Amino acid sequence: MIIPTHPNNTDFLSVPVLDLEKALSRVHHKKDLLKRVIDIFIQGLSEKTDLIEKEIKNQNWESLGILAHSLKGSSWTIGAQQLGDIAFAMEKASEKKDMIFFHHLFQIFKESVHRFLEHGQNLKL
Amino acid sequence: MNKDKIRFLIVEDDEMIRMIHKDFLRDLYPESEIFEAENGAQGICQHFEKNPTIILLDMMMPILGGEGFLDILEEGHNCNILTNKPKIIVVTAIKDVKELMSIGKRFAVEAVISKPLVQNQLKSLLEDWLS
Repeated sequence: MIIPTHPNNTDFLSVPVLDLEKALSRVHHKKDLLKRVIDIFIQGLSEKTDLIEKEIKNQNWESLGILAHSLKGSSWTIGAQQLGDIAFAMEKASEKKDMIFFHHLFQIFKESVHRFLEHGQNLKL
Repeated sequence: MNKDKIRFLIVEDDEMIRMIHKDFLRDLYPESEIFEAENGAQGICQHFEKNPTIILLDMMMPILGGEGFLDILEEGHNCNILTNKPKIIVVTAIKDVKELMSIGKRFAVEAVISKPLVQNQLKSLLEDWLS
């Protein structure tokens, strides 16, 4: 797992945002299904990122843990390894109720979401 | 178990993962019925209404998680409110080994599979049960 200290870290930027082969294997190589799945994933990313912003303000650790856990599972499922790895680290930070670290990871997560969305626009299935 | 009459219940908060499970199960058992629930509370309602034979259960969900779902199911059976005992496959992104082992001992849980789900694992489990 590569968790950078700063999102401009070259390691961070060199990690592919989506393993397309893995993503296709999850849906038995059905491209139509993958398109629908990615649409739902992107919608979920946006909704959950907004919710995390809100729950950080409320310091609602239970909800932050569930959100990070959910993002980890869906990201790994879709082959978005980096997003899943950062979400995993966020889940761990939520267990320790470490807001400074959680917030730091969340900034990196948002950068990774940005990269994913940019990549998604150019994705040809 | 008659494979033509299988009723699956997917209890999973993530719509994307529900969609992948559903597509996979439909391909494998086209004659089966597949029901969905977004959390444990909906899952309990669906269990009462649809009487599923096999449940795919996520653990960490809002409102009511998998633990709560299993608690209610077990209580329902102890009180004879529920008579049908489904086979439950827990599909979870939990990584803690002790926690996974403890889930595996819960009522009606027949298998625990890690996310991301390797569908061949699920397929071979189902084939064992339904052959």
